[in-house]
Amino acid sequence: MRCYIDSVVTAQDVATDIKLLIPDAGLRRRMSRVIKSAVTTAVECVGGTEGIDALDAIITATGWGCLADSEKFLRNMIVEHEQLLNPTPFIQSTFNTVGGQIALLRHNHCYNVTYVNRSHSFEDALLDAMMRIADGESCNVLVGAFDEQTPSQHRIMERMGAFRTVADGEGAVFARLTAQRSEQSVAQVTAIDFLCQSLTVEQCRERYATRADATVVYNGYAKYGLFPTSAAYTFAEAVRLVQQGESEVVVYNEYFGAAPAVFRVQCIG
Amino acid sequence: MGIVVTGVGIVSALGVGVERNLERICRGESGISATPTLLRTANRLPVGEIAVTNEQLHSMLSIPQSEHLSRTALLGILAVREAMAGADIDYTRRVGLVSSTSVGGMDLTEHFFESFIEDDSRGRLRDVRMHDCAASTDAIARHCGINGYRTTISTACSSAANAIIAGAKLLKHNIVDYVVVGGSDALSAFTLNGFKSLMILDGEPCRPFDSSRAGLNLGEGAGYLVLQREEEACSYYCHLSGYSNRNDAHHQTASSAEGNGAYQAMAQALQMAGVEPQSVDYINAHGTGTGNNDASESAAFIRLFGDNVPPFSSTKAFTGHTLAAAGGIEAVLSVLSIVRGCRYPNLNFTTPIAEYGLHPVTAFEQAKIDSVLTNSFGFGGNCSSLLFTR
Repeated sequence: MRCYIDSVVTAQDVATDIKLLIPDAGLRRRMSRVIKSAVTTAVECVGGTEGIDALDAIITATGWGCLADSEKFLRNMIVEHEQLLNPTPFIQSTFNTVGGQIALLRHNHCYNVTYVNRSHSFEDALLDAMMRIADGESCNVLVGAFDEQTPSQHRIMERMGAFRTVADGEGAVFARLTAQRSEQSVAQVTAIDFLCQSLTVEQCRERYATRADATVVYNGYAKYGLFPTSAAYTFAEAVRLVQQGESEVVVYNEYFGAAPAVFRVQCIG
Repeated sequence: MGIVVTGVGIVSALGVGVERNLERICRGESGISATPTLLRTANRLPVGEIAVTNEQLHSMLSIPQSEHLSRTALLGILAVREAMAGADIDYTRRVGLVSSTSVGGMDLTEHFFESFIEDDSRGRLRDVRMHDCAASTDAIARHCGINGYRTTISTACSSAANAIIAGAKLLKHNIVDYVVVGGSDALSAFTLNGFKSLMILDGEPCRPFDSSRAGLNLGEGAGYLVLQREEEACSYYCHLSGYSNRNDAHHQTASSAEGNGAYQAMAQALQMAGVEPQSVDYINAHGTGTGNNDASESAAFIRLFGDNVPPFSSTKAFTGHTLAAAGGIEAVLSVLSIVRGCRYPNLNFTTPIAEYGLHPVTAFEQAKIDSVLTNSFGFGGNCSSLLFTR
């Protein structure tokens, strides 16, 4: 399986004014922080809201979903004794809210799904995108991942003993994948795999590298912080490395106790 | 390549197991009770609750109480074990799982939160360990001998249908040899209050497709199928021959009046299977009983089938709306409709919706059924349809 990457944008890369990315002021006001961050990243990735029209699949990934909204509704429910609750945080607590909002911005009816599989959520979304492209079901796919940090989540994970070696984190990354190579293509994904056993850097190279000068990004997620979709940042990193001249990057992530996942990003041609 | 169904499992308010569920549907007995008895809530609303506690579920499954699994995981394990026991699985091959849930471990998290919001050093951590959606998938895999690729999908009330679609693709791409697909959702105060805040819960038993319908009843349960590549299955129930995932893209929680997403999903599923609309023998509708869903789905039926809308019914007046599990439970019922040759009654129907004039099936009917379409729609505009054929 192979697909081309036209653009990858992280939440930190978004430079455009949010008023241009999400023009509806009411919508912006209702959106929680993570929804706003993920949707703006997605819109920036496709080059503005009109870019949504060309998409034929919208695949999102999140380990925790819209935590702040879930927590807000839960808190209100307990404090208000189940009386007169505002439905907005409940509506927005749904895991597919971001995917739904992206479709809604331009009334795009295409395939739309959300993977919620802890640290594999992003790789699962990427696999789905690659299968759709391989099957000819889609040729212009938006794939993205997001997770948010909240004070409660931080406190609970701290009590569980997390953050001893890695700091807390959050973020959003979106990528546009295509079936056909074009002038916009910056790199290509040529492999994705899910493993049952750990590999060393050398084993990753032996098994997945096709070129002698390949770079291995090994457990790169750790530098982006402890959140389930941090692997999406290693995808952005691999694409950046290719844009900077690397010929091939093998990315291996074995997130705290989870089975490892691997993908390979290559230069074009 | 053909995809076939080789195992099915259900747990719902009707009971545990396929036979119990069918028996009660055949007798026209609803699983909806007047109020919740196990769920901790002050709301006196009808629900499709499974009258078995979490402790009892651990015992039934021979899982130590100390594992303290979420109800979503427990219900899932129950249905997955039934589905896998029915399929002749060679465990030396790759057995995958695509599970789905919308509440995850919320039934435990809400207990945790009561203490936590008073003092953030309180609340038992074991009550929040299973909060995320994948925790239930992990528990199911661990307790059901699943050794291959597994993932979790959450697209609100269409989740399980999308899990079924994802599983079929994994088979086609030779990533797994067997795949268990479906969904599980437990009742929680979170979802009950959420739907109540949206004012779409009926205080009476729900009445799908009736002109007097006034909302849905929430339910809980799990429904899973085992799928395989046709050429590798010695025997099978039926084919999964068409599916489609489309987005209504109309509103975050409401469906369009024209049923755009529903129409496109049904039309594409039929097109993929090469089945003409007039050949559909039964539709297991999404039919939640809300004013909006049933009107939108009816509009979509008429757009696709014209004056010849096939016999259809919603089984949600039996089970309640089981959210992420609904697509799994209803897929199992659709498979059984073909295997057992029956159509299920739409309980509590008396008067058609004036604008559409559609009459669902109201009595348990025996008939030769070769193709069944089943719909699952959800928040976020997600609309998915599956087509099962003999």
